[in-house]
Amino acid sequence: MPQYGSGLFVSIAHLIRGLFGGTTVTADVVMTVINSLIIWALIALAALSLILLERKVAGWMQLRTGPNRLGPRGWFQTVADAMKLLGKEDIFPAAADKWVFGLAPMFVIGLSVMVMAVIPYGKGMVPVDLNVGIFYLLAVSALTTIPFFMAGWGSNNKFALLGGMRAVAQMISYEIPLVFSLLGVVMITQTFKMSAIVNAQSHVWFILLQPLGFVVYTIAATAETNRAPFDLVEGESELTAGAFTEYTGMRWALFFLGEYANLFIVSAVAATVFLGGWQGPFLPGWIWFAIKVLFMVFLFLWFRWTFPRLRVDQLMHFGWKVLLPLSVANILLTGVGIYIYQLIYPAIGG
Amino acid sequence: MGNIGGGLVFLVFALVTVFSAYLVISSRNIIHSALFLILTFIGVAALYAMLDADFLAMVQLLVYAGAISIMVVFGVMLTLRGGPENSNGDTRNAIGGAIAALLTFVVLGMVIFTNSAWLTTGTGISGGSTVSDVSWLLLTKYVVPFEVAAVLLLVAMVGAIILAKGVDDSK
Amino acid sequence: MNYALLAPEITLAIVAVVILAIGLMIPKGPHKGMVPLTILGLLLTMGVTGGQFAANVHGTFLNGMYYADNYASFFKLLFLTAALLVVLSSTEYVQKLPAHRGEFYALILFAALGMMIMAGSGDLITLYIGLETMTISFYVLVAYLTEDGKSSEAGLKYLILGAVSSAVLLYGISFVYGLTGSTVIAEVASSLGSSISPAIILALVMVLVGFAFKISLIPFHMWAPDIYEGAPTPVTAYLAVASKAAGFAALTRVFLIGFQQQVYGGSPEVVLAVLIAVTMIAGNLMAIPQKSFKRMMAYSSIAQAGYLAIGLLAGDQAGVKAVLFYAMIYVFANMGAFTVATLIANAQGSDQIKDFAGLARRSPFAAAVMLISLLSLAGIPPLAGFVGKFYLFSAVINQGWVSLAYIGFVMSMVSVYYYLSVVKTMYMEPGEGLPKIGLGGASKFTLFVTMIVTLFIGIYPTPLAQMAISAAKSLIR
Repeated sequence: MPQYGSGLFVSIAHLIRGLFGGTTVTADVVMTVINSLIIWALIALAALSLILLERKVAGWMQLRTGPNRLGPRGWFQTVADAMKLLGKEDIFPAAADKWVFGLAPMFVIGLSVMVMAVIPYGKGMVPVDLNVGIFYLLAVSALTTIPFFMAGWGSNNKFALLGGMRAVAQMISYEIPLVFSLLGVVMITQTFKMSAIVNAQSHVWFILLQPLGFVVYTIAATAETNRAPFDLVEGESELTAGAFTEYTGMRWALFFLGEYANLFIVSAVAATVFLGGWQGPFLPGWIWFAIKVLFMVFLFLWFRWTFPRLRVDQLMHFGWKVLLPLSVANILLTGVGIYIYQLIYPAIGG
Repeated sequence: MGNIGGGLVFLVFALVTVFSAYLVISSRNIIHSALFLILTFIGVAALYAMLDADFLAMVQLLVYAGAISIMVVFGVMLTLRGGPENSNGDTRNAIGGAIAALLTFVVLGMVIFTNSAWLTTGTGISGGSTVSDVSWLLLTKYVVPFEVAAVLLLVAMVGAIILAKGVDDSK
Repeated sequence: MNYALLAPEITLAIVAVVILAIGLMIPKGPHKGMVPLTILGLLLTMGVTGGQFAANVHGTFLNGMYYADNYASFFKLLFLTAALLVVLSSTEYVQKLPAHRGEFYALILFAALGMMIMAGSGDLITLYIGLETMTISFYVLVAYLTEDGKSSEAGLKYLILGAVSSAVLLYGISFVYGLTGSTVIAEVASSLGSSISPAIILALVMVLVGFAFKISLIPFHMWAPDIYEGAPTPVTAYLAVASKAAGFAALTRVFLIGFQQQVYGGSPEVVLAVLIAVTMIAGNLMAIPQKSFKRMMAYSSIAQAGYLAIGLLAGDQAGVKAVLFYAMIYVFANMGAFTVATLIANAQGSDQIKDFAGLARRSPFAAAVMLISLLSLAGIPPLAGFVGKFYLFSAVINQGWVSLAYIGFVMSMVSVYYYLSVVKTMYMEPGEGLPKIGLGGASKFTLFVTMIVTLFIGIYPTPLAQMAISAAKSLIR
């Protein structure tokens, strides 16, 4: 159960709970339903605005305007795009493995929802504050490989299959440095709990204590979300659209939604773990959180429009021979650091 | 949640686990088998979570559903010849296998249900969260197997590379 | 916590990792320097272990999680000796390996480390991890000739059957944990007391079956012949002597410390006795028609496991002493025979018994060592095997299993037939056109050591017997 602090949303939640008798089962159920509805809405909102942001930033970086026709400065462009996708025909290829093909996009989005349930959006604004929070997050996002594989396999198309295999190989390879890079923070805070990790950063953000961890995390997260320069999964010049080649209409839109939900998730995790989460002066916590997430998103967009795409062997080489040793070295350094710190201040820590 | 709710949730996950395990062996398409295997792993993870073993549940998800199943899938894709239809062997021994499984089940079931002396504990080792309990045990009581497991994994990794690389590019 | 008790294991782990790293640093060439280095590391570990043995260290680590007693030290010395002999005898063989020569030695050391953990473990989880360390090293070693179909097939078979047997063992261990709330062997014993129930018997049977796979008691032996035949010859030797001894080391501790009151005097004892009788009879009979030397030795080693298990069945100090003694001399006798087989395999690329034709003329020394080793395996006086079998059978007769001893005697006589058929091929058949066998320094040394030890212990067994008694006493007070 989230602790109650001050803040608009927390007060609203408290009010709704009060209507159903505070701590009863009914109140729990109602809050769970409301929370999950908010997460769904958040995913839709994040996807719509991030796609627009991406196109705007891309335009800005390439000295062009980006979408500018629909609505003021083209702000309604992605809404219109989404409408169009909803109206498109949902095509199943004749040779496709029907169930596998059909279920894959739903799993992508379902996993995103599961992950977003443990992110602390503000003080007392964690939908589910698990004891194993960050570990849960990593474990569930590790499953994201499966729908990619399902899409690649189920399409029964050589481009899709190649894209699917690339996705799986890439995500497995970069999962390990990703997990290890977060381990340093867990070693310092001695907890997996997301809210506790945020609370531990009230004095100093972990980006200062874990600079190497942050760098490794950012790179590995870029690869995990299959974004350029690690977007070999789609690789439109070689693979048409990779695992998504055969998808149309709503199912394709779900993949797109999932992609941007994942971008939001990795940014939110970076903001929570390295940038102090909702901690910050003057403004309410959730605004600080939004600012930090947007900063991280901007960073990822910047990467995408700056770096050229890697080759497959370069990708694997970089993952296993550069990032993995770096992340392990980070764990070692953190351990040594904690040990020295405890020698100086014996009262602190474990 | 009350006892009834907990029992219902258990029943759902137990049925999902067992039924998907059955589908693993009965699917004719080996890719479907692999996918159902993942579902089995997830079901087991849910059962762990219901036993308050949240850390173990996450390990199950991360290691089995996230990594091992992908390895299985890769193995299937790299070795599969021809189409996926009927790729999952034949079931000539289905009757014999069913009888053997049934006998094993009956014997085990009788032994398990007639034995009254199963030990159960209600609390964790230190009363803390399972994460701190597990880590505490791993680095104190079970430090020898923990360290040996590290060696074991090193050996397994070296061995896998030796066997996978073969003789071609490593004289 | 007294980490000094773990000194042998830590030493060997460091040595193995260093060897692995050095093997990577000199990527090309024949890796000749690896042999002295490996031997040095093994001797160092033996020194540490021997020091513990001589000082009669008796320590337990973390309330019985891990033992450093003479029983464990004796087995550790055995594993290290076996590893040393394997490394020595395989020097020339490894030069012919197509790739990864450096890792070969590291894997042998890692396997030895796993066995040492098995011998020392006082806890079923530790035991299992040690077992897996050993078996995984062996999976790789068995399949080392990646271009040889037989070797790959053997590796795959070993992997699958090994995994199945591990699963059975683990399931048994989980039952033990459910019944007692502990995996520490001593705690299991105190928790069980003298109680017995179907669940306990089920757990015991599963543990026994899991180990019976590893030590290849019939009917859990099917893997042995194929795998012994397919594996590289030095690996077969290592598999036959060391992994079997490790299985016995662990099984004996589990049965005598953990389930003493459940196993002995009850139905599990009878099951074990039947397994032993079947193993001795069928193992020896099936060895007779074999054409391949390695297959014959596989069945022979199945039969030898039956003899060894007799000491376990006796279950007293004399029995344990007999197991220890026999396991040690089995190492030397078997390594002698396999070293010769390795030489033949190296020179002629085959392991059929007919390839030994005329060996007496082609390499009289190798033929002599083979003769002595095989006769020792058969238990002919005055060789070491005779003394070992004498200890085993007398221990079991004292416990009232006269019929088993009788079967053992008769089957030993049967075994003389197939051992001597090899001897006949070596000495009686001309072997026209077969190449001369050149002995390298290392192989010559190995053959010499195995021959001397087999002869010496046959004539003067007291020192080894004393060591075995001291070790047995540290297990059973």
